[in-house]
Amino acid sequence: MRNPVGWAALTAFSLAFFAFIYAPLFVIIGYSFNSNPVNMMIWEHFTFDWYTGLLGLSDRTTDVSNRAAYVESTDQMLAALRTSLTVALFTTTISTVIGTATAIALARYRFRMRGFYNGFLMLPMMMPDIVLGIGLLIFFVTIGMKLSMLTIIIGHCTFLTSYVFIIVQARIAGIDPALEEASADLGASEWVTLRKVLLPQLTPGILGGALLAFVISMDDLVITYFISGTGDTTLPVFIFGMIRRGVKPEINAIATLIILASVVIAALGLWLRSRKTD
Amino acid sequence: MSALLEIRDARRTFVTPEGGRLAALDGVSLDVSANEFVTLLGPSGCGKTTLLRAISGFETLDSGTMRLGGADLTGLPPFRRPVNTVFQSYALFGHMTVARNVGYALEVAGVAKAAREAEVAEALEKVGLAGLGARKPGQLSGGQRQRVALARAIIAKPQLLLLDEPLSALDRNLRQQMQLELKTLQHSLGIAFIFVTHDQEEALTMSDRIVVMRAGQIEQIGTPRDIYRHPKNRFVAEFIGETNLMPVTIDRVDGSEALARTAEGVELRLPASGRKPGEQVTAVLRPADFTLGASGIPATVSRAVYLGSDLYVFVQPKAGGPELRVIARDTAGVEAGATVHLSHDPARVHVLEAA
Ligand SMILES: Nc1ncnc2c1ncn2[C@@H]1O[C@H](COP(=O)(O)OP(=O)(O)OP(=O)(O)O)[C@@H](O)[C@H]1O
Ligand SMILES: [Mg+2]
Repeated sequence: MRNPVGWAALTAFSLAFFAFIYAPLFVIIGYSFNSNPVNMMIWEHFTFDWYTGLLGLSDRTTDVSNRAAYVESTDQMLAALRTSLTVALFTTTISTVIGTATAIALARYRFRMRGFYNGFLMLPMMMPDIVLGIGLLIFFVTIGMKLSMLTIIIGHCTFLTSYVFIIVQARIAGIDPALEEASADLGASEWVTLRKVLLPQLTPGILGGALLAFVISMDDLVITYFISGTGDTTLPVFIFGMIRRGVKPEINAIATLIILASVVIAALGLWLRSRKTD
Repeated sequence: MSALLEIRDARRTFVTPEGGRLAALDGVSLDVSANEFVTLLGPSGCGKTTLLRAISGFETLDSGTMRLGGADLTGLPPFRRPVNTVFQSYALFGHMTVARNVGYALEVAGVAKAAREAEVAEALEKVGLAGLGARKPGQLSGGQRQRVALARAIIAKPQLLLLDEPLSALDRNLRQQMQLELKTLQHSLGIAFIFVTHDQEEALTMSDRIVVMRAGQIEQIGTPRDIYRHPKNRFVAEFIGETNLMPVTIDRVDGSEALARTAEGVELRLPASGRKPGEQVTAVLRPADFTLGASGIPATVSRAVYLGSDLYVFVQPKAGGPELRVIARDTAGVEAGATVHLSHDPARVHVLEAA
């Protein structure tokens, strides 16, 4: 039945496809364990130095003569990571609550200009990052708001709310409205129905949206670049700054750690999604 | 005995997306007494669901009143109405166990857990699902889900239970079994049921009274026998069961019998009551009202369908004229092309005034 040649071609194509996607990641992971401080493309021997150095646990850095500067930059990196996590935590919470509430309101209640709101919520997602970044910067400057962690949080919320909204909305569309009617029919007020029926049914969508918001917030460079002040730098902005001074092995270590974190988060997301509700 | 549910001149008009106005309920008045099994029967789109939703509170009326146990229902939100519904899609909560689904009405009413569990067990017992409380609805068969929906709707002991085509998703055997069980349950619970279907057989077997609807209006209300034997008009006659509708002109009246003739010249005898010669009426005869025998109206068999012990026979009294449907005992010689003789009992003929 199967055409062996076609099958082999398809297999080869799939392998090539995955290699194309994952090869760069594996290269980075490999380099992060290469002890050669000058040229990471030439393998010396295996080392954890870049990780320990990154975390301020060892002395070895790429630039031994400039050790003081490097320790400082380790602290800066940890500070940037802290900023990123704080920003992601706040923006995830805020945009998940607002995005979910908006999705429920637009799906379940009829009011004027419903269609308009619907389209309007998609807009920040489709806007190029650079436009959004410049727009936010000009806005904050105009209203006289000092760039800080707060402006990053506000900036992220503007577009992350849209992501959460779209994911939760897709989930609501798949929920039989008769469920909520059955709940009301059995004596539950709207509030009780929301709590006991609609929200539990939406949980996978809400968690998925929150996870996506978290990952995007952690990852965003372009918009954050415009609206972060000198004080509070997020991890991507920090890494971007580091790269401009040359690609150092520590960057590979950071990247590898981020890949690891992403895999963990993605696995968590898949696991949550596989816990079907019906 | 005053009625449990009184509906007076209920009207509901929808503005359709095409811009037209559609009267889904066009002056519906209906009384349902306690412990009565009433079926709403009618073709698709005649307003059955709309009427049910108006009773449960999910649809508001443009005008008209509804009273339940003497209390006006107008403006009462669904969760305050002592009425429960079995939804066509069952609408079970997929994230809850069967037991929690069934006990939901008690849970939101604030009944303590221990008391709730006892009632849930009893309700599951009643619908034949004892022991399945720990499952999720997704782990049940269609018939079992149907029973969960039923148990969930009766646990709060509503005065009135609304069922919107609850059996339409089941296969034929299960359907017939559930029809009997529903009827028995209704009897033992002492709850009034309003049951929506567009299956006339289902309506005939289950109901105390049938409400036949068309285009937002009630065409006829009556017992199943009433509706079957004495339909008010062509629509009801044709909607309920197989029917031979024969437009005839009265020839002469002869004591208790009238003699009538179709346009093709087929002779029928009908009850004389009030008939006058020359009058044009429609005679309604069910397929089982004819007998095939040695004497009577001669007719040619055009088709005979074997039903087991009976034959479903299509006959033509006049070549090229309309066909009649007859149910007869399976006898030898009744086959396509054969000539048979039809006789009928005049008292069994129902007469519609209009031709
Ligand atoms: N929300 C609505 N907006 C516009 N028209 C509606 C709405 N709900 C129902 N209708 C129309 O009202 C009429 C009656 O609908 P209803 O659902 O009561 O029919 P039904 O008798 O239950 O039919 P079925 O047997 O197919 O379920 C239909 O023509 C339907 O198209
Ligand atoms: Mg319907």
